[in-house]
Amino acid sequence: MIGQLILNGFINAALLAPPAVAFTILFGILKFPNFAIGAYVTVGAFAAFAVNVQLGLPIWVAVVGAMAAGAAVAWLSDALVFKPLRGHAPVTLLVVSIAVAFILEQCVRLFYGGNVRGFDLALERPMRLWGLRITKEQLEILVISAVITLLVHLLLTYTAVGKAMRATADNPGLAEVRGIPHRRIAVFTWLLCGAIFGLSGFLAGLDLVIEPHIGWNLTIPIFAAAILGGIGSAGGALLGAILVGIAEELTVLVLPTTYKVAVGFLIITILLLFRPHGLFGQAEIKK
Amino acid sequence: MSAYLVAMATYVGFFMILALALNLQWGMTGMVNFGIAGFYALGAYASGILTAKAGWPVGFGMLAGAAVGAAAGALVALLSVRLRDDFLAIVTLGFAEVVRLICLNEDWLTEGPRGLKIDARPFGSVFGREDYALFYLALVATAVLAVFAVAEAIRRSPYGRVLRAIREDDVVASVLGKDVLVFRVATFAIGAMFMGLAGALFAHFIQNISPYTFLPTVSIFIWMSVIVGGAGNNKGLLVGAGVVMLILEGSRFLNDFIRVLDAEKLSSIRIILIGVLLIVILRFRPSGLMPEEKFKPTSD
Amino acid sequence: MSNDAPLRIEGLRAGYGQADIVHGVSLSVARAEMVTIIGPNGAGKSTLLKAAAGAVRPRPGSSVTVAGREVAGLPASEIARAGVAYVPQEANVFRSLSVRENLELGAWSDRRRIADGLARVHAIFPVLSERAGARAGLLSGGQRQMVAFAMALMLEPAVLLLDEPSAGLSPVMVDQMFEAIIAVNRTGVAILMVEQNAVQALKISNRGVVMAAGAVAATGTAADLLADRSVAELYLGAAR
Repeated sequence: MIGQLILNGFINAALLAPPAVAFTILFGILKFPNFAIGAYVTVGAFAAFAVNVQLGLPIWVAVVGAMAAGAAVAWLSDALVFKPLRGHAPVTLLVVSIAVAFILEQCVRLFYGGNVRGFDLALERPMRLWGLRITKEQLEILVISAVITLLVHLLLTYTAVGKAMRATADNPGLAEVRGIPHRRIAVFTWLLCGAIFGLSGFLAGLDLVIEPHIGWNLTIPIFAAAILGGIGSAGGALLGAILVGIAEELTVLVLPTTYKVAVGFLIITILLLFRPHGLFGQAEIKK
Repeated sequence: MSAYLVAMATYVGFFMILALALNLQWGMTGMVNFGIAGFYALGAYASGILTAKAGWPVGFGMLAGAAVGAAAGALVALLSVRLRDDFLAIVTLGFAEVVRLICLNEDWLTEGPRGLKIDARPFGSVFGREDYALFYLALVATAVLAVFAVAEAIRRSPYGRVLRAIREDDVVASVLGKDVLVFRVATFAIGAMFMGLAGALFAHFIQNISPYTFLPTVSIFIWMSVIVGGAGNNKGLLVGAGVVMLILEGSRFLNDFIRVLDAEKLSSIRIILIGVLLIVILRFRPSGLMPEEKFKPTSD
Repeated sequence: MSNDAPLRIEGLRAGYGQADIVHGVSLSVARAEMVTIIGPNGAGKSTLLKAAAGAVRPRPGSSVTVAGREVAGLPASEIARAGVAYVPQEANVFRSLSVRENLELGAWSDRRRIADGLARVHAIFPVLSERAGARAGLLSGGQRQMVAFAMALMLEPAVLLLDEPSAGLSPVMVDQMFEAIIAVNRTGVAILMVEQNAVQALKISNRGVVMAAGAVAATGTAADLLADRSVAELYLGAAR
């Protein structure tokens, strides 16, 4: 029982880890929590649905479609909304990002309504590994998520553009005077993170069902994972995702399942009361 | 038709109280509250449960609704007064979601998703049906005026000036220490009290409350009202609340005439419209329709 | 000759928001020349450097030429690529990145030259190669200043803009930093420096510029300024 819950927790974590890492990277250049990330996830899920079910193309094309759609809406939301509004108070931008989330989600609803959908995949019986149940889709989620998270880690650690992204997040003014063009790095970051959110939409649709609220429901657990890991740290976000993922599953032991959604919030609240900068975050020096 | 207008005006009144309360909290203390729907729900359910289940008179129920809002506000503020803005936003949003989940799941108390039926109405037996709607509108309007007056009084008080000055400057705030902390918590609690009052007024107006009324969208619409109207300006946000409510509810009225789109699509378009309105206004009138009046710090 | 000076600033105005802080400053720095700007706090020294580097946008009508090329109004990253390396006074390293990564980022726009650049700056500051893996934010103030300076040297800039390179350093470290600056200057780099430590800075400089209230109040050779009694009383006294 516990073993199955922990396994489920890891699958949960696999859904949260890539978007939590992307969220924390994006936060590095935006400096406010972008609530529209859930909507990028939703757009990714529906793009994958459109490619796979409506166009009847194979599932891997749907993955590409999800990533492209996620990257496109993320970049567009920056170009049309966040970039022109730069300079407003972070709280205003936060409200604006929720407005963007509403707009995107309602656009999806306009076309697809509120119905629940799924990919065109044959149902298979769950496999059994050491007495634990896992479906083929869940196994795929674990693998894809691990690969993506590893790739992002390698990108940030070893490539020139990854280092420039970290430098820009750390100190944008200094990065610019050292010859690192802020705008180009920002656009690259938006596209990369958007693609990851799109992919997360595909993964979420694989595990759950596809509906317009799919992304909003993931938003708070994603924030919880990123904050737990200390905003700005990709490795921390991964660890945070695992903790939140497992915590959400384990709470069914003490609370009715209906309260599962609240776990992310409770984790954030309790954590922030004792460590206002996250579990692994460091106190920022305010200027 | 006129019944519809009266009902809509009453709705605008609830929004205005919420917006004034939010502006009191944010404008005075700089503490961001994204849990408006939670305080609103607490006030509504407190008054609803006490009158419908415990048989309290309506007046006491409403007072209790306001008191529960204030208590919850004080608690949230005490726990989170030290948090960064963005974290506070998430924590308060979470608070509202937890309140909503409790309302949804604790059937024995709240009747869960079926909704809580509330028969009690203030002075329900005095007026006829048509007149009662007008009476209630007057009641809500009085509440709006009272809240407006209190908010303005706090804003203009010496403490209000100090608070607004230090809102801009965390260093000063930490130097001034405990008094400021107490006043910030108190101001936040007063705002939450107004939100609870708005909830109680709403509960006895609609007479059937369910958790689906108190979605996070409510909090966001109030924030949009405040930003559209001009953060910090109490008159401006009354306009903002009116504009947002007009789009939300006014297009329903449009629907009676144009039957091209089904209700679901229309609801989507409404929300898209409000979102676009917010972005457009921020783009072309960065300080909102009516910006905060600059005050001169007295040099003493 | 004078037209393609490494750095020439003419009629430069700059500020924040509506208010101007620098009101029409003109000066130029020749190859291998070192110019120190002195003046009271708030005179606009730092803003002048920032505007020259593009970190603050100069007002229209200002001119900044680098080897004859107009760069005023370009993004800071473009000006950096044109050969101007600006070292801010504060927040001048990437705190969350390692020393090695900081230095590599100094050569981001021409990454083939990373190895060459590392060899050069390690020769100037050997300690940076020992601490290559350390997080820059955890270094001592002196070592952090070295990283900031070394990062700016990675691509062999033609112009160095240094804002208070000795701020917060121990006397020993100040000497070491000034020695490094002299060494770089001897390789032909034009240096424009703002320094609180005015006497020591003027002693190693060719020329000095006195700024007050956003404008140039006096200029002269470093020796003349050091000898000038009114300058000494007004601007050098407190620093001595």
